[in-house]
Amino acid sequence: MLKRRKTLALLALLGAPTAFLLVFFMGPLVIMAIYSWLTPGLYGGVEWELFHLNYGRILGWANTRYDQFDPVYLTIFLRSLRLAALTVLSALVICYPAAFWISRMRPARRNLALFAITLPFFVSLIVRLFAWVLILRPTGFLNQALMGLGLIETPLEIIYTDAAVIIGMTYIFIPFMFLPLYASVEKLDPALIEASGDLGATRLQTFLRVILPATAPGIAAGAVITFIPALGNFIVPSVLGGAKVLMIGNLIEQQFLSARNWPFGAALAMLLMAGVLILLMAQLRLARAAQGEPRR
Amino acid sequence: MKCVTPLGLYGVLFLAFVYAPILLVVVFSFNANPINMMIWDGFTLDWYRLIFGMEAKAAESASYIDSTAQLYAAVRTSFVVAFATTAISTLFGTALALAVSRFRFRLAGFYRGILLVPMIMPDIVLGIALLIFFVTIGANLSIGTIIVGQCTFLISYVFVTVSARLALLDETLEEASADLGATPLQTFRRITLPAIAPGVLGGALLAFIISMDDLVITYFVAGTGDTTLPIHIWGMLRRGIKPEINAIATLMLLFTLVVAAAGLYFRQKKE
Repeated sequence: MLKRRKTLALLALLGAPTAFLLVFFMGPLVIMAIYSWLTPGLYGGVEWELFHLNYGRILGWANTRYDQFDPVYLTIFLRSLRLAALTVLSALVICYPAAFWISRMRPARRNLALFAITLPFFVSLIVRLFAWVLILRPTGFLNQALMGLGLIETPLEIIYTDAAVIIGMTYIFIPFMFLPLYASVEKLDPALIEASGDLGATRLQTFLRVILPATAPGIAAGAVITFIPALGNFIVPSVLGGAKVLMIGNLIEQQFLSARNWPFGAALAMLLMAGVLILLMAQLRLARAAQGEPRR
Repeated sequence: MKCVTPLGLYGVLFLAFVYAPILLVVVFSFNANPINMMIWDGFTLDWYRLIFGMEAKAAESASYIDSTAQLYAAVRTSFVVAFATTAISTLFGTALALAVSRFRFRLAGFYRGILLVPMIMPDIVLGIALLIFFVTIGANLSIGTIIVGQCTFLISYVFVTVSARLALLDETLEEASADLGATPLQTFRRITLPAIAPGVLGGALLAFIISMDDLVITYFVAGTGDTTLPIHIWGMLRRGIKPEINAIATLMLLFTLVVAAAGLYFRQKKE
């Protein structure tokens, strides 16, 4: 009797959310997977016929209906990988010393500083990007400041370049990199660093042999959760990159809103998701191995 | 003893990098110069007057004034969507968190894992998947599709927040309540619910903020008629940088800060 009531209570809790997610989360993903194997219609839409070249086209395979061999899409994939990797790198370089700075504060101040770093994360994304448009555009803050100081004579063309996209993505993903990094820096025992110095290691040796290995899990976690949203991002490249800097996200958006080749867009999205899943699983494995937990 | 270490100096620079761009927008929103924001032309509230549809001197020389009616419609849509998605995702997310942490069943681990997916998958993938889905089933893109679309990932945020709170809660309290003769429903209402309330509230506020700010999912599943505020601003940006965007951005900033501060306050009350 009691067991039955418990089962009923469980079903009552699970029922509606499960149904909702099955229909509106799993459903769309399954349909997208199917779409990626269908024939694109001539004027948008799809024909429900198997078409195997949506994926091939990404790699640049020629076929009768499309252009000859041209790895233009592959180039965009590679550029996205490069921009996301550079974003991770610059976020890491910026956040790493900051994590040490905060980990050495007194607890009360430390909480305040952590709060101060997470707060901008809640500020509207479009507002934060707008701020960078104001800073980077030719008549913007940065150029005016540099020209005022007499460092340059003509405005630098920063906006609508790869650099602008990297700066923008670095800025919006700082909390993503900072928090995991901080978690592992905080655990680092200062006595270890002292001991290393006492035993005659140079500062560089201490950094490479003691600090870096001890904080590696944080670096890996921060890198992965920064890399993933950076890779698929299309807001930053369209606001700060203009039409010149295309990333996978922009390419996918185009397939849906202007090129009207939905199956091809779906195939691009499937590939993006596959890449992300592989990355996540690799990261989970690394984290487990680092914790010394037995692998399942 | 006051000494500036290199690390401390770096820390100040780091915070400046984080906050300067946002402060810049706030400062510009009060600059009277309609042509070049970089040159300070005196303090003005004209940009604020402009977005509230009042007469504004500085605005006369501005070349383009965006229709305030559209702006208001976008704000209204944003609030309608945010309230609806917050209600639905809080209800569903809390129910799932309770089920997974308070009942023993075979799929609990699966739920825990699968509910992380909407938060970590690239949002553009979810956005286009929802677009394809809605078009395939023949649904009209409208406020309804925005609400449903946002809920698919907001549920996860509430789930994670409430689960964290439930993990802190001492289960023996609930057992004691049952031993003393309370029905499961009484135990839930008198013990569990008050204990997890801060978590639920925190999750709801988080969902509210993320919903108000969502660009990508909304961009793909919004119909032509219904724009939310972030999408409206995005559109304004594409047509050119106007000083009144600074004022709108500052007001949004103020609003977000109030909601975020409230949310963080409830989260801190954990201990």
